[in-house]
Amino acid sequence: MSTLTIEMLFPEVANLHGDNANITYLAQCRPDARVIRTGLNERPAFLDEHVDLLYLGPLTERAQLKAIDRLSPHRAALEARIASDAVTLFTHNALEVLGARIRNDDMGYDAAGLGILELEATLAMMGRYSGKVMGPVPELGPEHPIVGYKSQFSMVDAAPGLAGFLTAERGIGRNTTTPVEGVRVGSLIGTSLIGPLLVTNPHFTRSLLARLDPDTEPALAHEEYAIAAYDARLAEFRDERRWHPGERLQKPIAAR
Amino acid sequence: MRVLLAVWAAKLTAALLRVLGRQGTHVPGIVARRIHPGIIGAVRHPARVVAVTGTNGKTTVSNLLAEALLGEGMRVASNRSGSNLAAGIAWALIAAVDWRGRPRADVGVLELDERSGRLVLPGLHPDVLVCTNLTRDSIKRNAHPEYIAWILSSELAADTMLVLNADDLIASSLGGESNPRVHFAVERLPGDTETPTGAALDAMTCPVCDQLLAWDYWRFNHIGRAHCPACGFRSPDAAYRARDIDAAASRLVLGLDGDAREARLVNDNIVNVYNEVAVAAALDVLGVARDRIVSAFDTLVPPTTRFASERIGEVLLVRLLTKGLVGVACSRAFEYLRSFPGRKSVVLTIDEWSERENEVENTAWIYDADYEYLADETVEQLVVGGNRRYDQALRLAIAGVDPDRIRTAASETEPAELVDVAHADAVFNLHSVHNALTTGNATQARLRARLARRAEADA
Repeated sequence: MSTLTIEMLFPEVANLHGDNANITYLAQCRPDARVIRTGLNERPAFLDEHVDLLYLGPLTERAQLKAIDRLSPHRAALEARIASDAVTLFTHNALEVLGARIRNDDMGYDAAGLGILELEATLAMMGRYSGKVMGPVPELGPEHPIVGYKSQFSMVDAAPGLAGFLTAERGIGRNTTTPVEGVRVGSLIGTSLIGPLLVTNPHFTRSLLARLDPDTEPALAHEEYAIAAYDARLAEFRDERRWHPGERLQKPIAAR
Repeated sequence: MRVLLAVWAAKLTAALLRVLGRQGTHVPGIVARRIHPGIIGAVRHPARVVAVTGTNGKTTVSNLLAEALLGEGMRVASNRSGSNLAAGIAWALIAAVDWRGRPRADVGVLELDERSGRLVLPGLHPDVLVCTNLTRDSIKRNAHPEYIAWILSSELAADTMLVLNADDLIASSLGGESNPRVHFAVERLPGDTETPTGAALDAMTCPVCDQLLAWDYWRFNHIGRAHCPACGFRSPDAAYRARDIDAAASRLVLGLDGDAREARLVNDNIVNVYNEVAVAAALDVLGVARDRIVSAFDTLVPPTTRFASERIGEVLLVRLLTKGLVGVACSRAFEYLRSFPGRKSVVLTIDEWSERENEVENTAWIYDADYEYLADETVEQLVVGGNRRYDQALRLAIAGVDPDRIRTAASETEPAELVDVAHADAVFNLHSVHNALTTGNATQARLRARLARRAEADA
């Protein structure tokens, strides 16, 4: 077993919606893990040493712009990392930092992102979307789909060829007209789902642990409760009565 | 004419609802807004209007303010028995004018739901806005406190006098440069530290240079007094300050813009200490004589607290409202629970009642709550009930609670039978808002009966 190194970017501002528990839980699954917390005014560790998992979590709108500002000098290194085997996980609106543009008319800005991904985010500050999402991922069989939640101001439009984290069986994807949710590019997993993802999806977490360290048998912390919680949630997600019209995909405007 | 039509329609609707035996604090406002969407701005206001908003304490502060101003002999319009959304405020304003639309109140004290600022503030144009605090609330509805601050600041008139919490860097940033403002604060308390801990930490960096802030005192979440070691930015100075809090004697000292006065402590919960000094600041801004401000607290009724305790035999039974979906509120309840002496057993049923049958609750909020307080060794058992019991149990385990101390039950009331009352010095009934009358009451009754049996056996 080699020590697992996890870097959390900007946790002092990227800590909304309980999502940093993704890393808390992962670190409990691997008690030997070294967690590096890199502040806004610090140099990211992944630039100088091997980091097994690079993580950025949910941000306020202001912090989203700061994250872009701080990562801009390291754009090439981040792009190279994504092209390598080293895993990068961006959750909720952190994914949008990697895109070409974030447009927020309500707050009066139209900002360039890092431009690593061909996607754009549009925020509607008086139109927060909340809903459930369920869909399979390639790492797991159809019996273990991802279950998660969206609660966000933004909708994302991406280039047609950009692979998703998952394709939603239920719920919406990057926006209300597509079931394709999130992004997979190289070693990057980007998803707008909260829950937190790794806590509410223990089977996926197990597969991620195996990917991060193929030489170590993955073990889940508090496995009994994690699996029981997943099974209970999945059973309810499979109950048609618990889905609402607002969680259904809509036809693209052009096709209506 | 349209304004009068809206006024008449609302008043007739309210009268009709009263005849039908209904309270009618919201519907008349809906009717009025349907007829005149801008009625909040169009109806004539009392001579002075005070709006009270914030995540916690706005009901208490607006009620205390209204009480104190009534005590000054003023005619006060308020929505204290109604809704704090746009319709409730519309109706409170309409109820304060006569059938010809002429104001009948001297002052309006209106509690404002912080997210409704967009609909209310442009028309209301309050003379004074009190903001108690802005902390994390429902993820679905409120997103994050900076968002709420943006809503309020976007709609505030430039001449509204702001009464803001200096110990809250988000709330104290409300408004623009032209807004006149005063701040209130609670001076350093014995339990304060210099190191923030917990999950829900906002405003941790300097708004000028992004450096991590240093804390002169840190209380909870982002509440405390901070400064930037790099650029010199610091929390605003508060002209109105609470200090020397003596819970046993129910006294405190209120600093009123340099004038220190001893006053009755209305309630010793820290949130209510903030509420008291906020009320004092607002009354001072409104020109109430300082002797009268201090004496007002002698007669003000303490706010309804979110806990109740009773001793049954040797055991304390504590009922604690633990607002589900709001991690910050749960953290305060858990911290309070931990402060009780002795061995504790806990029943925890805080699922969102409205989402049990037709939704699947998004439990992300439980990771914004500091369940770590429950990992204290004096908490000997936790029994979790309800649909989301495994999510709750997992959260407890991640927080460091020994799994041997956790039990789960599908039913929300069964935990009251499963919890160990034989060895506890205090038994806690933690329930949420929407299941208070069902689960909360049933659990309380069962625990009371079990503890009574224990008391008989012990005797």
